[in-house]
Amino acid sequence: MKFLKWLLLPYMAAVIVGAFLWPAPAQGFIGESSRIVFFHVPCAWTGALAFLVAAGYSVAYLARRRPEHDDVAAAAVRLGLLFAVLALVTGSLFAKIMWGSYWNWDPRESSFLLLIFLYAAYLFLRAAVEDPERRARMSAAYALFAAVLMPFLFFVAPRVTASLHPQTVINPQGKILMDAPTKAVFFGALIGFTALFFWMLSLESRAARFDRAAVSRLSER
Amino acid sequence: MSKRKGEIDAASNPSPTAYRLPPSRAGALARAWAICAKDAAQELRRRVAAASIFFFAATAVTLVSFAVGPFGLPTEARDRVSSALLWIILFFCAATGLPRAFVREEETGTALALRKVAPSSLTLAGKTLFNYVLFLAITAVTVPAFAVLLEWRLESPGALATVLVLGGYGLSVVSTFLAALVARASQKNVLFVVISFPLLLPLLLSAISATIEAAGGALPATALRVIVAYDGAATCAAYLLASAAWED
Repeated sequence: MKFLKWLLLPYMAAVIVGAFLWPAPAQGFIGESSRIVFFHVPCAWTGALAFLVAAGYSVAYLARRRPEHDDVAAAAVRLGLLFAVLALVTGSLFAKIMWGSYWNWDPRESSFLLLIFLYAAYLFLRAAVEDPERRARMSAAYALFAAVLMPFLFFVAPRVTASLHPQTVINPQGKILMDAPTKAVFFGALIGFTALFFWMLSLESRAARFDRAAVSRLSER
Repeated sequence: MSKRKGEIDAASNPSPTAYRLPPSRAGALARAWAICAKDAAQELRRRVAAASIFFFAATAVTLVSFAVGPFGLPTEARDRVSSALLWIILFFCAATGLPRAFVREEETGTALALRKVAPSSLTLAGKTLFNYVLFLAITAVTVPAFAVLLEWRLESPGALATVLVLGGYGLSVVSTFLAALVARASQKNVLFVVISFPLLLPLLLSAISATIEAAGGALPATALRVIVAYDGAATCAAYLLASAAWED
């Protein structure tokens, strides 16, 4: 595992260099703006994946009531919010170049912002409950409830109204409309961001575990 | 009025021992209905939730009609703006009154008794039913008043009623579930608005879009499909997670 962790650094560096130098800019976009796809989509994907991981660990918590599962779920939501904010920022930069404004109330932009609100509310809920066991149970219930309703924000709302957003990877034709170098860097970035997320998640979870152990040692004294 | 054996008796006696549900051989619907009837009886005695919601709705409708008025909006924007304002008012009405269903149990110390006598899914179903009836009552008063004061001509009242009935159901389910979650948290009222708004937004956006179409005389088929799907997903999730949200 340690070897993979250290491999991630040169791998991500290669992805970044490849994103800027290897594939030619896509047609139909202003200047080099299409290159943002190598960062924006992986951030959005990782954010959504993080929220799904949080939902998975919430199920595990409700089934087994182990506090470690709650630690991982909370860490996944925090990291998911980080990646979702990065996706929103990179999307806004693209919007400024392509459409002349950072914010256009495009359904996909708005639904992503609402997704951030949805999971920011999870952190508010955690902060409002003192008892750790109750906090974990309520947070798990909320995370699962949010995960069930998340597709309405993420997939339904942007598709029932007209959007300026370029065609997504998951499109009606069911084809990935990219040339070979773009596809290679794109999927390389997806794998890299996903690995980065899991590494950060393991660090956050370990930190939470140490934190809980320290608190229990202090309370024993 | 004499009560049948096993009926919930909280209206006449608020002590925790007053909760007596119909026996478990009675159907789940009958038991959920008993919880709804208990809530209704408590509400009729004190009228806190209903009065606060109706007062809020009256104030909000008056404020909107005073600020916008029948001639304050250009004709082409009237349906769009009125639909959005209507659902914003309905959302905040719901946020004002619907969390009371669970918060009241915690405040009066009857939550433990309710947990002992009824499974959480039945409690949630009963309280959702009560909240839904309350929401429909608010809507029945608010929407005509809103339409009259803003001179909002509705081309398809039947379609609008369908949107309100289906949208109101989703609003009641989600609000009731979240009320169960926040009942024992600090800063309940603020927290309820903070966590409910993002969860309800897909429903509210679809309901607004459907209301615009209904006001223009069209049948909002796509938006209604989204609302029905949302209602179904929210009902299943709330039923499955009821025990995690409510039990101690």
